[in-house]
Amino acid sequence: MTSLLGSMISTLGMALRYRPLIGVSSQVSKANALFNPELTTVRFRYHADKVAKGPVPRRHGYEEKLFQSGLLPRKVSVDKALPMPTYKPKNSWNEKRALFGQNDYIDILGPSNEISQKTLHPTQLLYHVPPWLRGVQGNEYQVLLRRRKFVQKKGYALGHPTKWATLNTRIKKLYTYLNHKTKSPFWKHS
Amino acid sequence: MATKIINKTVTEFSLRITRCFFVPSKTIQTNATLFQERLETSITNVEEQLPTTIRPPLPIIHSRKLAFPPKFKAPRQVWVSNMDTVEEEKLGLIDLHPEVFAERPRVDIIHENVRWQQLYRHVSYANTKMRYEVRGGGKKPRQQKGSGRSRHGSIRSPIWRGGGIVHGPRSPTPYFYMLGFNTRLNGLRSTLSAKLAQDDLHIVDSLDIPTDDPSYLEKLVEERGWGPAVLFVDDNDIMPLNITAASDSYGHYNLMPVYGLNVYSMLKHHTLVLTLAAVERLEERLLFHLNRNDAASAGQKYRLDSV
Repeated sequence: MTSLLGSMISTLGMALRYRPLIGVSSQVSKANALFNPELTTVRFRYHADKVAKGPVPRRHGYEEKLFQSGLLPRKVSVDKALPMPTYKPKNSWNEKRALFGQNDYIDILGPSNEISQKTLHPTQLLYHVPPWLRGVQGNEYQVLLRRRKFVQKKGYALGHPTKWATLNTRIKKLYTYLNHKTKSPFWKHS
Repeated sequence: MATKIINKTVTEFSLRITRCFFVPSKTIQTNATLFQERLETSITNVEEQLPTTIRPPLPIIHSRKLAFPPKFKAPRQVWVSNMDTVEEEKLGLIDLHPEVFAERPRVDIIHENVRWQQLYRHVSYANTKMRYEVRGGGKKPRQQKGSGRSRHGSIRSPIWRGGGIVHGPRSPTPYFYMLGFNTRLNGLRSTLSAKLAQDDLHIVDSLDIPTDDPSYLEKLVEERGWGPAVLFVDDNDIMPLNITAASDSYGHYNLMPVYGLNVYSMLKHHTLVLTLAAVERLEERLLFHLNRNDAASAGQKYRLDSV
Protein backbone atom coordinates (compact mmCIF):
# COMPACT_ATOMS: atom_id res chain seq x y z
CA MET A 1 0.00 0.00 0.00
CA THR A 2 2.63 2.47 0.94
CA SER A 3 4.66 1.75 -2.14
CA LEU A 4 1.58 2.25 -4.31
CA LEU A 5 0.84 5.55 -2.56
CA GLY A 6 4.45 6.58 -2.94
CA SER A 7 4.42 5.84 -6.63
CA MET A 8 1.16 7.81 -7.02
CA ILE A 9 2.66 10.79 -5.23
CA SER A 10 5.82 10.69 -7.36
CA THR A 11 3.82 10.56 -10.58
CA LEU A 12 1.65 13.45 -9.34
CA GLY A 13 4.77 15.40 -8.49
CA MET A 14 6.17 14.85 -11.93
CA ALA A 15 2.87 15.85 -13.49
CA LEU A 16 2.66 19.08 -11.46
CA ARG A 17 6.02 20.32 -12.65
CA TYR A 18 5.66 23.04 -15.29
CA ARG A 19 6.79 21.73 -18.67
CA PRO A 20 7.74 24.39 -21.21
CA LEU A 21 7.41 23.54 -24.90
CA ILE A 22 10.96 24.53 -25.86
CA GLY A 23 12.69 22.75 -28.72
CA VAL A 24 9.89 20.29 -29.14
CA SER A 25 8.30 20.20 -32.51
CA SER A 26 6.90 16.70 -32.82
CA GLN A 27 3.13 16.28 -33.20
CA VAL A 28 2.97 13.89 -30.29
CA SER A 29 4.52 16.39 -27.89
CA LYS A 30 2.14 19.11 -29.03
CA ALA A 31 -0.80 16.80 -28.59
CA ASN A 32 0.55 15.94 -25.19
CA ALA A 33 0.77 19.60 -24.30
CA LEU A 34 -2.82 20.19 -25.41
CA PHE A 35 -4.32 17.27 -23.60
CA ASN A 36 -2.32 15.39 -21.06
CA PRO A 37 -4.21 14.09 -18.06
CA GLU A 38 -0.98 13.95 -16.09
CA LEU A 39 -0.43 17.71 -16.48
CA THR A 40 -2.42 20.39 -14.68
CA THR A 41 -2.17 24.20 -14.49
CA VAL A 42 -1.12 25.80 -11.25
CA ARG A 43 -1.69 29.38 -10.10
CA PHE A 44 1.61 31.11 -9.47
CA ARG A 45 0.60 34.78 -9.69
CA TYR A 46 -1.53 36.29 -7.01
CA HIS A 47 -3.13 39.76 -6.90
CA ALA A 48 -2.14 40.07 -3.26
CA ASP A 49 1.54 39.95 -4.21
CA LYS A 50 1.01 42.72 -6.77
CA VAL A 51 -0.76 44.86 -4.17
CA ALA A 52 2.00 44.16 -1.65
CA LYS A 53 4.60 45.57 -4.05
CA GLY A 54 2.85 48.92 -4.24
CA PRO A 55 -0.44 50.69 -5.02
CA VAL A 56 -2.19 49.16 -8.00
CA PRO A 57 -3.02 51.87 -10.54
CA ARG A 58 -6.72 52.44 -11.20
CA ARG A 59 -8.53 53.91 -14.21
CA HIS A 60 -5.92 53.06 -16.74
CA GLY A 61 -5.81 55.70 -19.44
CA TYR A 62 -7.60 58.38 -17.43
CA GLU A 63 -5.82 61.71 -17.19
CA GLU A 64 -6.55 63.57 -13.93
CA LYS A 65 -6.96 67.27 -14.68
CA LEU A 66 -6.81 68.49 -11.08
CA PHE A 67 -3.54 69.31 -9.36
CA GLN A 68 -2.46 66.35 -7.27
CA SER A 69 0.77 67.87 -5.97
CA GLY A 70 2.70 71.10 -5.93
CA LEU A 71 2.06 74.46 -4.30
CA LEU A 72 -1.42 75.67 -3.39
CA PRO A 73 -2.71 78.60 -5.43
CA ARG A 74 -1.08 81.81 -4.35
CA LYS A 75 -0.44 85.40 -5.33
CA VAL A 76 3.00 85.58 -6.91
CA SER A 77 3.72 89.06 -5.58
CA VAL A 78 2.95 88.22 -1.96
CA ASP A 79 4.11 84.57 -2.07
CA LYS A 80 1.61 83.50 0.53
CA ALA A 81 -0.99 80.77 -0.01
CA LEU A 82 -4.50 82.08 -0.57
CA PRO A 83 -6.56 81.80 2.60
CA MET A 84 -8.91 78.87 2.98
CA PRO A 85 -11.78 79.17 5.40
CA THR A 86 -11.01 77.42 8.69
CA TYR A 87 -13.23 74.45 9.32
CA LYS A 88 -15.73 75.05 12.09
CA PRO A 89 -17.77 72.00 13.06
CA LYS A 90 -21.45 72.66 13.55
CA ASN A 91 -22.75 72.83 17.13
CA SER A 92 -25.17 69.91 17.37
CA TRP A 93 -26.38 71.17 20.75
CA ASN A 94 -27.28 74.77 20.09
CA GLU A 95 -30.76 75.79 21.20
CA LYS A 96 -32.42 75.15 17.85
CA ARG A 97 -30.90 71.72 17.28
CA ALA A 98 -31.17 70.53 20.91
CA LEU A 99 -34.87 71.29 21.10
CA PHE A 100 -35.77 70.34 17.55
CA GLY A 101 -39.15 68.67 17.33
CA GLN A 102 -40.43 70.05 20.60
CA ASN A 103 -44.21 70.41 20.76
CA ASP A 104 -44.80 68.31 17.65
CA TYR A 105 -47.05 66.02 19.69
CA ILE A 106 -48.90 68.78 21.50
CA ASP A 107 -52.27 67.62 20.21
CA ILE A 108 -51.64 64.22 21.83
CA LEU A 109 -49.80 65.25 25.00
CA GLY A 110 -51.38 68.64 25.60
CA PRO A 111 -54.54 69.01 27.64
CA SER A 112 -57.75 68.21 25.81
CA ASN A 113 -60.24 67.06 28.39
CA GLU A 114 -60.04 70.10 30.63
CA ILE A 115 -62.94 72.44 30.14
CA SER A 116 -61.13 75.72 29.82
CA GLN A 117 -58.44 74.62 27.41
CA LYS A 118 -58.45 73.39 23.86
CA THR A 119 -55.55 71.47 22.35
CA LEU A 120 -53.18 73.07 19.97
CA HIS A 121 -52.30 71.45 16.69
CA PRO A 122 -48.66 71.32 15.52
CA THR A 123 -49.63 73.31 12.41
CA GLN A 124 -50.45 76.23 14.69
CA LEU A 125 -46.85 76.23 15.91
CA LEU A 126 -45.15 76.63 12.53
CA TYR A 127 -43.96 80.15 13.29
CA HIS A 128 -41.17 80.13 10.71
CA VAL A 129 -43.47 79.18 7.85
CA PRO A 130 -45.42 81.96 6.09
CA PRO A 131 -48.97 82.13 7.52
CA TRP A 132 -50.63 81.24 4.24
CA LEU A 133 -48.35 78.15 3.90
CA ARG A 134 -48.98 76.59 7.31
CA GLY A 135 -50.41 73.12 6.95
CA VAL A 136 -50.52 73.40 3.16
CA GLN A 137 -49.89 70.28 1.14
CA GLY A 138 -50.08 70.62 -2.60
CA ASN A 139 -48.42 71.12 -5.91
CA GLU A 140 -47.19 74.45 -7.27
CA TYR A 141 -50.54 75.37 -8.84
CA GLN A 142 -52.48 74.82 -5.62
CA VAL A 143 -49.88 76.71 -3.58
CA LEU A 144 -49.95 79.69 -5.95
CA LEU A 145 -53.75 79.87 -5.94
CA ARG A 146 -53.70 80.01 -2.15
CA ARG A 147 -51.01 82.67 -2.21
CA ARG A 148 -53.04 84.80 -4.57
CA LYS A 149 -56.11 84.42 -2.37
CA PHE A 150 -54.20 85.59 0.71
CA VAL A 151 -52.29 88.36 -0.96
CA GLN A 152 -54.85 90.15 -3.11
CA LYS A 153 -56.74 91.52 -0.12
CA LYS A 154 -53.72 93.41 1.19
CA GLY A 155 -53.18 95.50 -1.89
CA TYR A 156 -50.33 93.39 -3.15
CA ALA A 157 -51.03 94.51 -6.71
CA LEU A 158 -50.26 98.09 -5.74
CA GLY A 159 -47.17 97.39 -3.65
CA HIS A 160 -45.58 94.64 -5.75
CA PRO A 161 -46.85 95.06 -9.31
CA THR A 162 -44.20 92.91 -11.00
CA LYS A 163 -44.58 90.04 -8.57
CA TRP A 164 -48.36 90.24 -8.83
CA ALA A 165 -48.09 90.05 -12.60
CA THR A 166 -45.62 87.14 -12.41
CA LEU A 167 -47.94 85.31 -10.01
CA ASN A 168 -50.93 85.67 -12.28
CA THR A 169 -48.94 84.74 -15.38
CA ARG A 170 -47.63 81.64 -13.68
CA ILE A 171 -51.10 80.59 -12.60
CA LYS A 172 -52.42 81.08 -16.11
CA LYS A 173 -49.55 79.13 -17.65
CA LEU A 174 -49.94 76.31 -15.16
CA TYR A 175 -53.68 76.19 -15.82
CA THR A 176 -53.17 75.77 -19.55
CA TYR A 177 -50.35 73.28 -19.06
CA LEU A 178 -52.16 71.12 -16.51
CA ASN A 179 -55.55 71.20 -18.18
CA HIS A 180 -54.61 71.12 -21.87
CA LYS A 181 -51.24 69.36 -21.95
CA THR A 182 -51.35 66.80 -19.16
CA LYS A 183 -53.77 64.03 -18.35
CA SER A 184 -55.53 63.69 -15.01
CA PRO A 185 -54.10 61.02 -12.74
CA PHE A 186 -55.44 57.51 -13.23
CA TRP A 187 -57.46 57.69 -10.01
CA LYS A 188 -59.43 60.64 -11.33
CA HIS A 189 -60.69 58.85 -14.40
CA SER A 190 -64.07 57.36 -13.61
CA MET B 1 -56.62 81.36 24.48
CA ALA B 2 -52.94 80.70 25.15
CA THR B 3 -51.35 82.81 27.87
CA LYS B 4 -47.72 83.64 28.54
CA ILE B 5 -46.41 83.24 32.08
CA ILE B 6 -43.35 85.24 33.01
CA ASN B 7 -41.85 84.57 36.39
CA LYS B 8 -39.75 87.57 37.29
CA THR B 9 -37.33 85.71 39.54
CA VAL B 10 -36.12 83.51 36.71
CA THR B 11 -35.94 86.02 33.88
CA GLU B 12 -32.34 86.82 34.83
CA PHE B 13 -31.20 83.58 33.28
CA SER B 14 -31.92 82.51 29.72
CA LEU B 15 -34.48 79.79 30.16
CA ARG B 16 -34.20 76.54 28.31
CA ILE B 17 -37.98 76.02 28.30
CA THR B 18 -40.69 76.40 25.70
CA ARG B 19 -43.16 79.20 25.41
CA CYS B 20 -45.79 78.65 28.06
CA PHE B 21 -49.07 77.93 26.39
CA PHE B 22 -51.27 76.72 29.17
CA VAL B 23 -52.10 77.57 32.70
CA PRO B 24 -52.48 74.21 34.41
CA SER B 25 -55.69 74.06 36.34
CA LYS B 26 -54.11 72.75 39.53
CA THR B 27 -52.38 75.18 41.90
CA ILE B 28 -48.63 75.29 41.38
CA GLN B 29 -45.95 76.21 43.86
CA THR B 30 -44.45 79.34 42.35
CA ASN B 31 -40.73 79.58 41.92
CA ALA B 32 -40.63 82.70 44.08
CA THR B 33 -41.52 80.73 47.20
CA LEU B 34 -39.14 77.95 46.24
CA PHE B 35 -36.35 80.48 45.74
CA GLN B 36 -37.00 82.00 49.17
CA GLU B 37 -36.79 78.61 50.87
CA ARG B 38 -33.57 77.81 49.09
CA LEU B 39 -32.08 81.24 49.88
CA GLU B 40 -32.36 80.61 53.60
CA THR B 41 -30.50 77.33 53.44
CA SER B 42 -28.35 77.84 50.33
CA ILE B 43 -24.65 77.07 50.35
CA THR B 44 -22.33 78.41 47.66
CA ASN B 45 -19.62 75.70 47.59
CA VAL B 46 -20.62 72.35 46.18
CA GLU B 47 -17.89 70.06 47.48
CA GLU B 48 -18.53 68.46 50.87
CA GLN B 49 -20.63 71.37 52.11
CA LEU B 50 -24.03 70.28 50.90
CA PRO B 51 -26.47 69.71 53.71
CA THR B 52 -26.94 66.02 54.36
CA THR B 53 -30.50 65.37 53.32
CA ILE B 54 -32.45 63.97 56.19
CA ARG B 55 -35.05 61.58 54.96
CA PRO B 56 -37.64 59.41 56.58
CA PRO B 57 -36.84 55.69 56.41
CA LEU B 58 -36.85 54.45 52.83
CA PRO B 59 -38.83 53.52 50.80
CA ILE B 60 -40.72 56.81 50.69
CA ILE B 61 -42.65 56.05 47.53
CA HIS B 62 -44.50 52.82 47.96
CA SER B 63 -46.87 52.27 45.11
CA ARG B 64 -48.70 53.86 42.27
CA LYS B 65 -52.21 53.24 41.09
CA LEU B 66 -52.44 52.55 37.36
CA ALA B 67 -55.32 53.95 35.38
CA PHE B 68 -56.97 51.44 33.03
CA PRO B 69 -55.40 48.48 34.87
CA PRO B 70 -53.64 46.17 32.44
CA LYS B 71 -55.32 42.84 31.96
CA PHE B 72 -52.87 40.74 30.01
CA LYS B 73 -49.52 42.38 30.59
CA ALA B 74 -47.59 42.76 33.80
CA PRO B 75 -46.70 46.29 34.87
CA ARG B 76 -43.04 47.25 34.62
CA GLN B 77 -41.32 48.26 37.83
CA VAL B 78 -38.76 51.03 38.02
CA TRP B 79 -36.76 52.65 40.79
CA VAL B 80 -37.47 56.22 41.75
CA SER B 81 -34.25 58.14 42.36
CA ASN B 82 -33.46 61.49 43.92
CA MET B 83 -31.79 64.61 42.59
CA ASP B 84 -30.74 66.00 46.01
CA THR B 85 -27.40 64.26 46.09
CA VAL B 86 -24.81 63.37 43.51
CA GLU B 87 -24.91 59.72 44.58
CA GLU B 88 -28.08 57.94 43.63
CA GLU B 89 -30.51 57.14 46.42
CA LYS B 90 -33.42 54.92 45.57
CA LEU B 91 -36.52 56.37 47.13
CA GLY B 92 -38.87 53.58 46.13
CA LEU B 93 -40.28 51.34 43.44
CA ILE B 94 -43.22 52.17 41.22
CA ASP B 95 -45.25 50.48 38.50
CA LEU B 96 -45.35 51.71 34.95
CA HIS B 97 -48.24 50.92 32.66
CA PRO B 98 -47.22 48.27 30.09
CA GLU B 99 -49.45 49.75 27.37
CA VAL B 100 -47.26 52.88 27.46
CA PHE B 101 -43.85 51.64 28.54
CA ALA B 102 -43.80 47.99 27.50
CA GLU B 103 -45.04 47.97 23.95
CA ARG B 104 -43.00 46.02 21.45
CA PRO B 105 -40.94 48.81 19.86
CA ARG B 106 -41.85 49.19 16.21
CA VAL B 107 -38.75 50.55 14.52
CA ASP B 108 -40.62 51.32 11.32
CA ILE B 109 -43.13 53.48 13.18
CA ILE B 110 -40.32 55.26 15.01
CA HIS B 111 -38.65 55.92 11.67
CA GLU B 112 -41.90 57.27 10.20
CA ASN B 113 -42.28 59.61 13.15
CA VAL B 114 -38.73 60.93 12.90
CA ARG B 115 -39.09 61.47 9.16
CA TRP B 116 -42.40 63.28 9.68
CA GLN B 117 -40.92 65.56 12.33
CA GLN B 118 -38.05 66.48 10.05
CA LEU B 119 -40.12 67.03 6.94
CA TYR B 120 -43.51 68.47 7.89
CA ARG B 121 -42.11 71.87 8.83
CA HIS B 122 -39.68 72.02 5.89
CA VAL B 123 -40.27 74.53 3.13
CA SER B 124 -37.87 74.73 0.22
CA TYR B 125 -37.27 78.28 -0.99
CA ALA B 126 -35.11 77.22 -3.93
CA ASN B 127 -36.27 78.93 -7.09
CA THR B 128 -35.34 79.02 -10.73
CA LYS B 129 -36.72 81.34 -13.38
CA MET B 130 -38.68 80.13 -16.37
CA ARG B 131 -37.91 81.39 -19.84
CA TYR B 132 -40.54 84.11 -19.63
CA GLU B 133 -39.31 85.24 -16.18
CA VAL B 134 -35.66 85.69 -17.13
CA ARG B 135 -34.88 89.26 -18.07
CA GLY B 136 -34.86 89.84 -21.82
CA GLY B 137 -35.48 87.34 -24.54
CA GLY B 138 -38.51 88.92 -26.19
CA LYS B 139 -36.88 89.58 -29.54
CA LYS B 140 -35.97 87.00 -32.14
CA PRO B 141 -32.10 86.97 -32.13
CA ARG B 142 -31.72 86.75 -35.91
CA GLN B 143 -33.92 86.19 -38.90
CA GLN B 144 -35.17 82.69 -39.51
CA LYS B 145 -33.38 82.12 -42.80
CA GLY B 146 -30.29 83.34 -44.56
CA SER B 147 -27.61 83.66 -41.85
CA GLY B 148 -26.48 80.04 -42.06
CA ARG B 149 -26.73 79.70 -38.30
CA SER B 150 -29.26 77.77 -36.29
CA ARG B 151 -32.72 79.19 -35.85
CA HIS B 152 -33.87 80.64 -32.52
CA GLY B 153 -36.84 82.53 -31.19
CA SER B 154 -35.48 83.87 -27.91
CA ILE B 155 -32.13 84.17 -26.14
CA ARG B 156 -33.74 82.92 -22.90
CA SER B 157 -34.96 79.61 -24.23
CA PRO B 158 -33.84 76.64 -22.08
CA ILE B 159 -31.27 75.48 -24.59
CA TRP B 160 -29.41 78.78 -24.29
CA ARG B 161 -26.79 79.59 -21.70
CA GLY B 162 -28.42 81.95 -19.22
CA GLY B 163 -31.83 80.83 -20.35
CA GLY B 164 -34.75 79.73 -18.26
CA ILE B 165 -34.93 76.40 -16.46
CA VAL B 166 -37.81 74.20 -17.53
CA HIS B 167 -38.66 71.91 -14.60
CA GLY B 168 -36.56 73.47 -11.89
CA PRO B 169 -37.47 74.10 -8.25
CA ARG B 170 -40.26 76.61 -7.73
CA SER B 171 -40.31 78.53 -4.50
CA PRO B 172 -41.87 77.96 -2.01
CA THR B 173 -42.32 74.20 -2.04
CA PRO B 174 -43.92 72.87 1.12
CA TYR B 175 -43.16 69.35 2.28
CA PHE B 176 -45.96 69.33 4.80
CA TYR B 177 -47.94 66.19 5.49
CA MET B 178 -49.68 64.97 8.58
CA LEU B 179 -48.92 61.55 9.97
CA GLY B 180 -51.90 59.64 11.31
CA PHE B 181 -52.90 60.27 14.88
CA ASN B 182 -52.41 56.66 15.89
CA THR B 183 -49.09 56.39 14.09
CA ARG B 184 -47.80 59.30 16.15
CA LEU B 185 -49.33 57.89 19.31
CA ASN B 186 -47.71 54.53 18.70
CA GLY B 187 -44.44 56.27 17.87
CA LEU B 188 -44.42 57.77 21.35
CA ARG B 189 -45.28 54.41 22.92
CA SER B 190 -42.60 52.57 20.94
CA THR B 191 -39.91 55.12 21.78
CA LEU B 192 -40.76 55.17 25.48
CA SER B 193 -40.75 51.37 25.55
CA ALA B 194 -37.42 51.24 23.74
CA LYS B 195 -35.94 53.75 26.16
CA LEU B 196 -37.08 51.72 29.16
CA ALA B 197 -35.94 48.44 27.67
CA GLN B 198 -32.49 49.84 26.94
CA ASP B 199 -32.04 51.29 30.46
CA ASP B 200 -32.14 54.83 29.16
CA LEU B 201 -35.22 55.83 31.15
CA HIS B 202 -34.95 57.02 34.76
CA ILE B 203 -37.59 58.28 37.15
CA VAL B 204 -36.87 60.95 39.77
CA ASP B 205 -39.12 62.41 42.41
CA SER B 206 -38.62 66.01 41.27
CA LEU B 207 -36.09 68.23 39.52
CA ASP B 208 -35.14 70.22 42.64
CA ILE B 209 -31.38 70.34 43.06
CA PRO B 210 -29.59 72.00 45.99
CA THR B 211 -27.37 74.38 44.01
CA ASP B 212 -27.35 76.16 40.69
CA ASP B 213 -23.75 75.18 40.05
CA PRO B 214 -23.43 73.54 36.64
CA SER B 215 -20.72 71.18 37.88
CA TYR B 216 -23.17 69.62 40.35
CA LEU B 217 -25.38 68.52 37.51
CA GLU B 218 -22.43 67.24 35.51
CA LYS B 219 -21.11 65.23 38.46
CA LEU B 220 -24.55 63.81 39.11
CA VAL B 221 -24.97 62.66 35.53
CA GLU B 222 -21.43 61.21 35.36
CA GLU B 223 -21.81 59.42 38.71
CA ARG B 224 -25.01 57.70 37.73
CA GLY B 225 -23.82 56.74 34.25
CA TRP B 226 -26.57 58.66 32.55
CA GLY B 227 -25.69 59.26 28.90
CA PRO B 228 -23.76 62.24 27.57
CA ALA B 229 -27.03 63.95 26.67
CA VAL B 230 -29.93 63.97 29.12
CA LEU B 231 -33.48 65.16 28.64
CA PHE B 232 -35.26 66.11 31.85
CA VAL B 233 -39.04 66.06 31.58
CA ASP B 234 -41.40 67.54 34.13
CA ASP B 235 -45.13 68.11 34.17
CA ASN B 236 -44.94 71.86 34.68
CA ASP B 237 -43.40 74.05 31.99
CA ILE B 238 -41.73 76.39 34.48
CA MET B 239 -38.79 74.47 35.89
CA PRO B 240 -37.09 75.02 39.25
CA LEU B 241 -34.56 77.84 39.27
CA ASN B 242 -31.50 75.79 40.18
CA ILE B 243 -31.75 73.18 37.47
CA THR B 244 -32.59 75.84 34.91
CA ALA B 245 -29.45 77.77 35.80
CA ALA B 246 -27.28 74.66 36.02
CA SER B 247 -28.34 73.19 32.68
CA ASP B 248 -28.18 76.53 30.91
CA SER B 249 -24.44 76.26 30.33
CA TYR B 250 -24.76 72.80 28.81
CA GLY B 251 -26.41 72.34 25.47
CA HIS B 252 -26.81 68.61 26.02
CA TYR B 253 -28.81 68.87 29.26
CA ASN B 254 -32.25 70.02 28.28
CA LEU B 255 -35.49 70.60 30.14
CA MET B 256 -38.87 69.96 28.62
CA PRO B 257 -42.48 69.87 29.75
CA VAL B 258 -44.57 66.78 29.04
CA TYR B 259 -46.45 68.42 26.19
CA GLY B 260 -43.15 69.11 24.45
CA LEU B 261 -42.05 65.47 24.47
CA ASN B 262 -41.45 63.97 21.03
CA VAL B 263 -39.82 61.00 19.34
CA TYR B 264 -36.95 62.98 17.78
CA SER B 265 -35.85 64.54 21.08
CA MET B 266 -36.07 61.21 22.88
CA LEU B 267 -33.78 59.66 20.30
CA LYS B 268 -31.40 62.62 20.14
CA HIS B 269 -30.80 62.58 23.90
CA HIS B 270 -29.24 59.40 25.21
CA THR B 271 -31.06 59.39 28.53
CA LEU B 272 -34.60 60.38 29.40
CA VAL B 273 -35.30 61.44 32.98
CA LEU B 274 -38.94 61.77 33.97
CA THR B 275 -40.31 63.13 37.20
CA LEU B 276 -43.13 61.31 38.97
CA ALA B 277 -45.55 64.04 37.99
CA ALA B 278 -44.41 63.74 34.38
CA VAL B 279 -44.99 59.97 34.43
CA GLU B 280 -48.50 60.50 35.80
CA ARG B 281 -49.29 63.09 33.17
CA LEU B 282 -47.78 61.13 30.31
CA GLU B 283 -49.58 57.91 31.20
CA GLU B 284 -52.86 59.75 31.72
CA ARG B 285 -52.63 61.39 28.29
CA LEU B 286 -51.58 58.30 26.33
CA LEU B 287 -54.04 55.99 28.06
CA PHE B 288 -56.81 58.53 27.55
CA HIS B 289 -56.20 58.47 23.81
CA LEU B 290 -55.91 54.68 23.75
CA ASN B 291 -59.18 54.17 25.63
CA ARG B 292 -61.33 57.02 24.41
CA ASN B 293 -64.67 56.14 22.86
CA ASP B 294 -64.56 58.91 20.25
CA ALA B 295 -61.26 57.85 18.74
CA ALA B 296 -62.64 58.10 15.23
CA SER B 297 -63.11 61.85 15.56
CA ALA B 298 -59.58 62.27 16.90
CA GLY B 299 -58.03 60.13 14.21
CA GLN B 300 -59.62 62.01 11.32
CA LYS B 301 -57.47 63.25 8.49
CA TYR B 302 -56.13 66.76 8.97
CA ARG B 303 -57.94 69.32 6.84
CA LEU B 304 -56.43 72.67 5.96
CA ASP B 305 -57.87 75.65 7.85
CA SER B 306 -59.77 73.30 10.16
CA VAL B 307 -57.65 74.10 13.21
